[in-house]
Amino acid sequence: MSVAHCGDFRQTYREDMKVLETRFIRVSVGAFVVLLYLFPLAAGNYLTSTVTTIAIAVIGALGINIVTGFTGQISLGHGAFMGVGAFACSYYMRVAHLPFWVAMPAAGITTAAVGMVFGLPSARLKGLYLAIATLAAQFILQYLFVHMDFVTGGSNGIVSPPPEIGSFAFDGDRSKYYLTVTIAVMAVLFTTNLIRSRDGRAFIAVRDHYLSAEIMGVPLFKYRLLSFAISAFYAGIAGSLWGVYTGYLSAEQFTIAESINYLAMIIIGGLGSVLGSIFGAIFMTLLPQILTVGTGALAGIFPKIGFLIMSFKEGIFGLIVILFLIFEPDGLAHRWRLIKSYWKLFPFSY
Amino acid sequence: MKRFLSLAAVAAVAVLARPVQAQEIVIGNLADITGGTGDVGKPYAEGIKAYTDYINANGGINGKKIKLLQQDYAYKIPEALSLYKKFKDQDKVLAIQGWGSGDTEALKEQVAKDQIPYFSASYSAHLTDPTKSPYNFFCAPDYSTAARAALKYLKDSWKEKRKPKVAFIYPDNGYGKAPIPGAKKYAEEIGFDIVGEENVDLKAIEATTQLLNLKKNEPDYAWVGGTKVSTAVILKDAKKLGLKTKFFGNIWSADEATPKLANGAEEGYMIVLGAALYGEQVPGMKVIEKVSGGQPVASHWVRGWVSMMTMCEVLKIADKAKELTGPGIKKAAETLKAFETQGLTAPITITPNDHRPTMTVSLGEFVGGKLVKKATIELPRKAEWLGL
Repeated sequence: MSVAHCGDFRQTYREDMKVLETRFIRVSVGAFVVLLYLFPLAAGNYLTSTVTTIAIAVIGALGINIVTGFTGQISLGHGAFMGVGAFACSYYMRVAHLPFWVAMPAAGITTAAVGMVFGLPSARLKGLYLAIATLAAQFILQYLFVHMDFVTGGSNGIVSPPPEIGSFAFDGDRSKYYLTVTIAVMAVLFTTNLIRSRDGRAFIAVRDHYLSAEIMGVPLFKYRLLSFAISAFYAGIAGSLWGVYTGYLSAEQFTIAESINYLAMIIIGGLGSVLGSIFGAIFMTLLPQILTVGTGALAGIFPKIGFLIMSFKEGIFGLIVILFLIFEPDGLAHRWRLIKSYWKLFPFSY
Repeated sequence: MKRFLSLAAVAAVAVLARPVQAQEIVIGNLADITGGTGDVGKPYAEGIKAYTDYINANGGINGKKIKLLQQDYAYKIPEALSLYKKFKDQDKVLAIQGWGSGDTEALKEQVAKDQIPYFSASYSAHLTDPTKSPYNFFCAPDYSTAARAALKYLKDSWKEKRKPKVAFIYPDNGYGKAPIPGAKKYAEEIGFDIVGEENVDLKAIEATTQLLNLKKNEPDYAWVGGTKVSTAVILKDAKKLGLKTKFFGNIWSADEATPKLANGAEEGYMIVLGAALYGEQVPGMKVIEKVSGGQPVASHWVRGWVSMMTMCEVLKIADKAKELTGPGIKKAAETLKAFETQGLTAPITITPNDHRPTMTVSLGEFVGGKLVKKATIELPRKAEWLGL
């Protein structure tokens, strides 16, 4: 096992730019990625598609973490932005006959443009007021999903065609998994680098103290808008992949509940942390499923009170979330750091 | 390390995937017990469960027992999708009892691809066209047929010389909008004047704006396409504003609990019935009374019961033909000819080209705080109505 310095002893810029600092971290992250790619070979289709949904949630959570966690602008429209991406991608593929590989980035850019429009109020509004403005985005977009029949299929929804390379269609659970996980890994890498860049530091400055940031020469409006655009771009990509995953899109899939879900993900995972986005996405995707399957199985064992057990599910979910917020206010990413430092010094913690 | 972990993953999968006994038929049930439509979804799921228990205690499917896997998806589509994958890959279900429009619409392409028959409680007419959704089935009149039947009844009982005026109130979602184009077209054909269209959300707590708009045109009749909470809101506000309109509504727009919610404003409200009411004098109701121990059950409960009954009948046919597979069940369902659900619904007929279960629609009305059966309307099985 290799060791990190206990201070800042970097001597070259190259060293300073390293994401994975020690060999141990490099090896374990590499092993994790390799395992991620081997996973579908060992797991069944159900687990494979569960991880696919986690990967989509990771991309979405990274997006909202950029605007809310790093730049400090609360966004309550993330679910609707995902919808914009999903419908746009499907539209480009069905109507403009673009291949998925062009349609997905195009959908991302479309969503970024929409995100910028709804990010405009951030020039004047902060905090709760901005939250309400983005809430309006959620409802306006939802209205458009139902009424722009020619793009979204209206209330009947619309088919989202699978991506293709030549004659190979990504319509199986495994191929969807590889596509989504690859893009999620890219998104994680991009975000990690983004927040180390000039723009990323500007985001954090805007969040931490907007007045100081402006005095230091950070144009507030530009960076707020930029963070909305990037965040929406992620949502657009996540939405496109969601379309690939479900094969069918309807306005009912992109409601305020979805937006809140994403906000909850980054609060539970850790605001302003890439790792936190990943943890939050895993937690918020797996917990309801574990509860559903668990209470379903329990209900099968105790058929007399089966429905009662199933009704506990939502309550337990809420309780776990509340307990997490009380005992883990800095998110799972913080707990992860504590666990790491505990083992680093084990058994001599002082 | 890698090998160990993949072994561990294999072991985990092996533990999760429970072995299926040979003499069992596994059926999945996507139910909404705690979600947005849980008020009506829970009794429906209970009806499904009750019939499963009943048939298992009475010989099963030609001796084979049904193993019903009920899971609550709380009307969340992502959960419905992942539960569907679990049903398909881990539990290897033969067929699925589904629930609302959200899950049914989201899954209709997939069930067709995976060849898993899907019985829903979403009765949208476009699910009845086998060229578009070959594996979707249900056991009540579709929304459009229901609306047409109600319109026909109202027209037939219209006495005045002038044309009757009708308006449509519905939520702006898939369920609300599904029957509207067909119903409007039919209303014009048989001589109604359409004088208004308003949207009232399922979660609305007041509907005065919309009703004031309607009041100007004085409709004689107004269709209510929501669920029971929004319907109660509309009826109460209409009474408050003094509308003379007679309201009539879709299958999910009201039930036995409506008088409590509408507090008297429901008097004279007409509703499409999907199944017999509790206490009705039909053979099937005797069984239900015995099963429920004399406790009244909601009409949704009866519809769940009938949906499972129909599925079991189909499974019996498929089993006899030694074709207990997805396509075999579909084929068996398409041979149903005037299947008597012990009088609980109109006889069900499904053919390979037409999944409309019935063209006979019962109408009920609230009289003195009670839901009573009023009339039965028989419509012709017109080909041009299929899927519309």
